[in-house]
Amino acid sequence: MAKIYIDERELEVAEGTTILKAAESAGLQIPHLCYHKAFIPEGSCRMCLVEIEGLPKLELACSTQVRDGMKITTTSESVVEARKGVLECLLAEHPIDCPICDKAGECKLQDYYDEYGLFDSEFDENKEKRQKRIEIGKNLLHDQERCVLCRRCVRFLGEVTKTHELGVFQRGVRAEVSIYDGILVDNNYSGNLAEICPVGAITDKDFRFKARTWFLQSRESICPLCSRGCNIYVESHQGFSRFSLPKRVYRIRTRENQMINGFWICDKGRYDYAYLDQERLDEIRMRNSQGSVTWPEITSHIAGEIGRLYHMKRAAHIGLILQTWLTNEEFFLLDKIFRNDVNIDKISFLDPAEEASDDFLLTSERTPNKRGAKELGFDLQPADWKKFFEDVDLLFVFASPIQDGLDVGPLKEALEKIDTKILFATHNHEINSSFDIVLPMSLIAEKGGSLTNIVGSVQNFSPALDAPGECRPAWQFFIELAKKLAINFDFYNQFSSMDDVREMMKKENPFFREVH
Amino acid sequence: MNPELTDQTKKKIEEIASHYATKDAALLPVLHLVQREKGFISQQEEKEVADLLNIKPIKVKEVVTFYTMFNQEQVGKYHIQVCSNLSCSLLGADSLIEHLKSKLGIGVGETTSDKKFTLKTVECLGACEQAPCMMVNFDYFGNLDREKIDNILDSLE
Repeated sequence: MAKIYIDERELEVAEGTTILKAAESAGLQIPHLCYHKAFIPEGSCRMCLVEIEGLPKLELACSTQVRDGMKITTTSESVVEARKGVLECLLAEHPIDCPICDKAGECKLQDYYDEYGLFDSEFDENKEKRQKRIEIGKNLLHDQERCVLCRRCVRFLGEVTKTHELGVFQRGVRAEVSIYDGILVDNNYSGNLAEICPVGAITDKDFRFKARTWFLQSRESICPLCSRGCNIYVESHQGFSRFSLPKRVYRIRTRENQMINGFWICDKGRYDYAYLDQERLDEIRMRNSQGSVTWPEITSHIAGEIGRLYHMKRAAHIGLILQTWLTNEEFFLLDKIFRNDVNIDKISFLDPAEEASDDFLLTSERTPNKRGAKELGFDLQPADWKKFFEDVDLLFVFASPIQDGLDVGPLKEALEKIDTKILFATHNHEINSSFDIVLPMSLIAEKGGSLTNIVGSVQNFSPALDAPGECRPAWQFFIELAKKLAINFDFYNQFSSMDDVREMMKKENPFFREVH
Repeated sequence: MNPELTDQTKKKIEEIASHYATKDAALLPVLHLVQREKGFISQQEEKEVADLLNIKPIKVKEVVTFYTMFNQEQVGKYHIQVCSNLSCSLLGADSLIEHLKSKLGIGVGETTSDKKFTLKTVECLGACEQAPCMMVNFDYFGNLDREKIDNILDSLE
């Protein structure tokens, strides 16, 4: 351990820590553009200069390691002056086109100028004209005027994806980030480039000119598009009072979690978010019903159907088709209600087919919670559908959210022969009309719960979006249903929130006690 | 399409690379070798070198474009590099460059149509004691004036 002093604050940090990391561990921010936690420090932007007692020149905080007794000043006059100088040189060639820049509002150059700059430039010369929209990838555009040559993008493609699509050509004032021989950035992690760019040099075509960043509401969630469980921010726009917007979600961003996804998310998780808004089912549909039906009415109705078969000792004629889009808590309740209380053994899974993994974050499982279902005792083996559909009188199907990926083949024919068919769905789909009752469900981003990823890490999450229309999380319906069924009323009566269910699950199943 | 690197050159590259802990560390001396043998390093050579040193061609281009002494295009038989930095400029480099331009009938960075001369300006040849100075291929010429330049050009076949 080394004892150091930063701005007269005494800190104990491990030997070999850099000044910048030591400062950040104490909550002190040192400005930087090229440094990024994921990479080896490069020291090219010179924004992190600090004063060290006894040394004649300012030193780089990002790459200088602490020594015992080191006295560091991050706010002295000479440091502030140096930062101003660095900013002036960076801005000498920067277009300052913030009003039309997607990065505005979350741009480090903009923030630092606000903090250290606010001066008139002493450069009289005209700025160099450079290319402002060079296609460097399927979803990426590069603006050479805005680029500050921090090389984060080059290092990302060199160190993380190891695909090396970008390089810095020429030197000095002519230096520019570019692709080689027309070969575009083409890997499943390209979207991270726009995110790690500290300025608006690399912009994301998906987000380009769609929304100003300061109108976005950023909420934590977990990506459900594979079983890695990458931590994300779901960024939605509330719209304005004068006009409403065509959608809620404008962007998915990565959220750091060193246990799961590090600093990154894949392009599938980043760009395939249209399902959050498109073709959503948001109302209860019941065949042959006059007027609208409420959740309590429908819950009573379903409890009645189940109860009838249960009391006639015909529970074996109830079938349940599930998908591993449900949360741990929901599987816990399903297990309790359907297997334990009603004693149903006709439970099968109809998950989307597995696809290729990319050997980094994206797994082959295209649902988020296979592992959780397994840990709660569900058998995910493919069903013998012919046998399954023999004498089913009451069928429940949980299909969500992307029914296009769902193989409805085995369902379609069988449905015609079943008396009562109830679908829990998140999206409109042609198969919906084959059911007697269709109930609108909340998506992962719209509910709370926990998911178990492919390696068995359990992660909690809260709603990032409001559920549209009449959508409800499945767990809420399960509790209401169980109370109405009244087979084991006292047990379910303890539950009034998601947390109550989670606590019970943790109490009964030690696997879920450790949460990441 | 340029002729590919000869087997002999490839062998020399292997030999140079063997002196380094990792092959990519040999990039600079290898590029100098390729330029000596072929006169310039185009995309084709970038790819060939990358292949031999087991690195990406983009890495080679980063180095080739960083160092101005690597030619990315064919240069004339005589590659004239005139210093345009401080010492030489104070002693009249500007007018000498103009003289060369009109004498050769080309601009800076251009090659005569008979491929005999290429004219370039460079930042410093490290020979301020004989400013103004220039290099023709690997030979230095210092304390230049118009007459001297005329004599040099006349002597070049």
